[in-house]
Amino acid sequence: MRAPLRRQFARALRRSTTLLLTCLLLAHAAEPDRVVFATNWRAQAAHGGFYQALVDGTYARYGLDVTIRQGGPQVNNRPLLPAGRIDFLMTGNLLHSFDNLKNGVPTQIVAAIFQKDPQALIAHPGVGYERFERLKDAPVVLVAKDGQFTWWQWLKATQGFRDEQLRPYNFNLGPFLANPLAVQQGYSIAEPIYVRQQGGFEPVVHLLADHGFDTYSTLIETRVELIRARPELVQRFVDASILGWYSYLYGDRRAADAMMLRDNPEITVAEIDASVALMKHYGIVDSGQALEAGIGAVDPERIRHFYESMVTAGLYRAGEIDPAAVAAPQFVNKGVGLDLKRRLLARP
Amino acid sequence: MSAAIELTAVDKRFDKGVAAVRGFSTTIAPGQFVALLGPSGCGKSTLLRLIAGLERPSAGSVQIGGEQAAQRVAAMSFVFQEPTLMPWANVLDNVALPLRIAGASRKGARAAALQALAAVALADRARAYPAELSGGMKMRCSIARALVTRPSVLLLDEPFAALDEITRHRLNDDLLGQWSVQAPTAVFVTHSIFEAVYLSQRVLVMGGRPGRLIADLPVSFDTPRAPALRLEASFLQQCQLVSDALERAKAAELLT
Amino acid sequence: MIESRRAPVWVPAVAGLSLLLVWEVVVRSRGIPSFILPAPSLIVKTLWDNLDSLLAAWLFTIKITFGALLLALLGGVLLACAFALSRTLELALFPFAIALQVTPIVAIAPLILIYVDSTTASLLICAFIVAFFPILSNTLIGLRSADPNLHDLLTLYGANRWQRLRWLLIPSALPYLIAGLKISGGLALIGAVVAEFAAGAAGRETGLASRILEASFRTEIPKMYAALTLVVLTGVAIYWVTKILARTLLGRWHPSEQG
Repeated sequence: MRAPLRRQFARALRRSTTLLLTCLLLAHAAEPDRVVFATNWRAQAAHGGFYQALVDGTYARYGLDVTIRQGGPQVNNRPLLPAGRIDFLMTGNLLHSFDNLKNGVPTQIVAAIFQKDPQALIAHPGVGYERFERLKDAPVVLVAKDGQFTWWQWLKATQGFRDEQLRPYNFNLGPFLANPLAVQQGYSIAEPIYVRQQGGFEPVVHLLADHGFDTYSTLIETRVELIRARPELVQRFVDASILGWYSYLYGDRRAADAMMLRDNPEITVAEIDASVALMKHYGIVDSGQALEAGIGAVDPERIRHFYESMVTAGLYRAGEIDPAAVAAPQFVNKGVGLDLKRRLLARP
Repeated sequence: MSAAIELTAVDKRFDKGVAAVRGFSTTIAPGQFVALLGPSGCGKSTLLRLIAGLERPSAGSVQIGGEQAAQRVAAMSFVFQEPTLMPWANVLDNVALPLRIAGASRKGARAAALQALAAVALADRARAYPAELSGGMKMRCSIARALVTRPSVLLLDEPFAALDEITRHRLNDDLLGQWSVQAPTAVFVTHSIFEAVYLSQRVLVMGGRPGRLIADLPVSFDTPRAPALRLEASFLQQCQLVSDALERAKAAELLT
Repeated sequence: MIESRRAPVWVPAVAGLSLLLVWEVVVRSRGIPSFILPAPSLIVKTLWDNLDSLLAAWLFTIKITFGALLLALLGGVLLACAFALSRTLELALFPFAIALQVTPIVAIAPLILIYVDSTTASLLICAFIVAFFPILSNTLIGLRSADPNLHDLLTLYGANRWQRLRWLLIPSALPYLIAGLKISGGLALIGAVVAEFAAGAAGRETGLASRILEASFRTEIPKMYAALTLVVLTGVAIYWVTKILARTLLGRWHPSEQG
């Protein structure tokens, strides 16, 4: 029996509208959005997920033409974000966000890739530094510029460290290796590998996160103005980055590693492998809230709690900023990528 | 005390094989004022520097008061064509310099320098700097410096060549006046015939390349010389004699 | 002639103030945010608010700058005199001096920090390296530029090497030395600041460079400008000091200071 004419007409209208929208979407997708993402160091395993999304076409599928811009020891990409030169910025901890708010710089966090901050203090074994409390008596603590103005202030305020111990760390292991009583900063998923290579020993590692420095790390930060004007662009970048991270951790990451090696010829495949292993061992990325809400999960309550502990430590005054304004959590906590993780883990 | 100058068969060749002076021999008595005259480039200045001991002869000998010239420093004074004053010191300290180097105290050297400046009528400019003086004043200062050490030999290398004629005449008379006080043996290099005849008791004419002694002419006017001498016929005749010798010198240059 | 030398002092002052005025007006009228380009009034206010820490840092930078300049002066002049008196010494050591000149401070500052324990000493060394060569080179040229006739006169006076140095060579070299000092003054400041940037001074002994870095890492842009202002003022002060020194030592006799 024939359907009534009205229903036929309605169906035709639906189909043509869908076709039109699809054409428009395709036309739109034909010109991907150009996006610049700046990291806070030279390419390393801790950036793996972003490189993965780039090389396996995830960013492209989400209509994004992404350029990854490396940081480095003398490079400070941070002012480029509010100035409009870059679109997304990788930051190392929440203190940067607090400072931006304090100074009226209009940026916000949209994702937190590392649920745990890998920042640590490392020391020689066998000289008593196995206990964290002994570190504050070290004659020399080597901290780089970035840390000197952030978590070192917290160490001084709450853990009993003093400026007299402070020496500048120029990312050269020499002074640390030469002095058995020296303590230096380290990324728990990187420095121990180099110390093993160059010094031939396994250093003692004390994660700051284990002693109350409970910040997120490798956060994705962007301009408030971009969130307001192009929220779908921000969402696409966040989603694609999250998928990239699942793919990097649980899938075939050789292409991403190759690209990182091209960007930063100073690392090796062995170092990347060791670093990824440490990331999983310490539960840096896929742990805590991320297990259920997906990588990148942001909990505003945790941000508020961290701010209050920094106020207690004397780094900020109470009420100086509103911690709720730090993050725009609407782009994460949606379980994006969980099915991808299941599929990747199910493979033999 | 003035000293005799004795040049015996003096040759001077420079490194590149250029010969400046050839076979120059002469004796200058103590206290004599001798002019050394010749065209440009004939080696007059080189000969003067040989006498001063600033250069050593390639052959022959230069003796001052019986000793080798090069060992006889500090008893000779030299006046250059440029005043050669230290621009960073005032006139008084410039004139005092040779005394200071010889070991005199600042006070003693300055006192002697002031006297020397008074003798050239520059005492009122003692605290001025060379940049503030005229060319003639600077040259007088240079002469005062040359005489402050009471040298036994005074050597002058065309000192007034860069000055205008009026100043030059005046300085000629000043120089004669100063010289007559201590009367050191003096050798005055010039390319001006009038100056050579007016100032000296003897004119040595030099010429040719390399330079040789062409003529040795006595000048027998009375001393002290008066400015009016320049206008007398005998003066012009003497100048003519010298001029002829100079022509021969130039001809000799063409032959060599 | 004296009048015309004094009159234009107000010209640079007026020019500077006009620039600041234009800057202030542009920032305000266009509503440029302070983290992109702060207005001069905000910079002054920030300077005032942070006076304590900025002054302490300024004092440290000045200490390093003038300390390094003094060392460069002593070292440069002594070495130049030694070179002027002995050709052999010059041939032997000059290549090292040149090596010091061309080595980029940014590269070796972290190295020096490894070998030298005290941060202050390392910064002094770095600033010294940057400031040292113009003084050495210029003084040496000056020592060699003495009037040859004066040289001859001193020979006639029987002067020995030291008398020659004292009475002729050093005074002859003075204008050249001052010229070298004018260059090295600014370089010492740059060296002090750059060395601190590259080596990353830490803790107590810190100068303006650390303040600038800190402000940069904490996105406190007005504070960066405030610290930079102090660096600029220091540079201007150094320029004026050397200018006055030149006028005092050379004013009466050297063509460079006449008219």
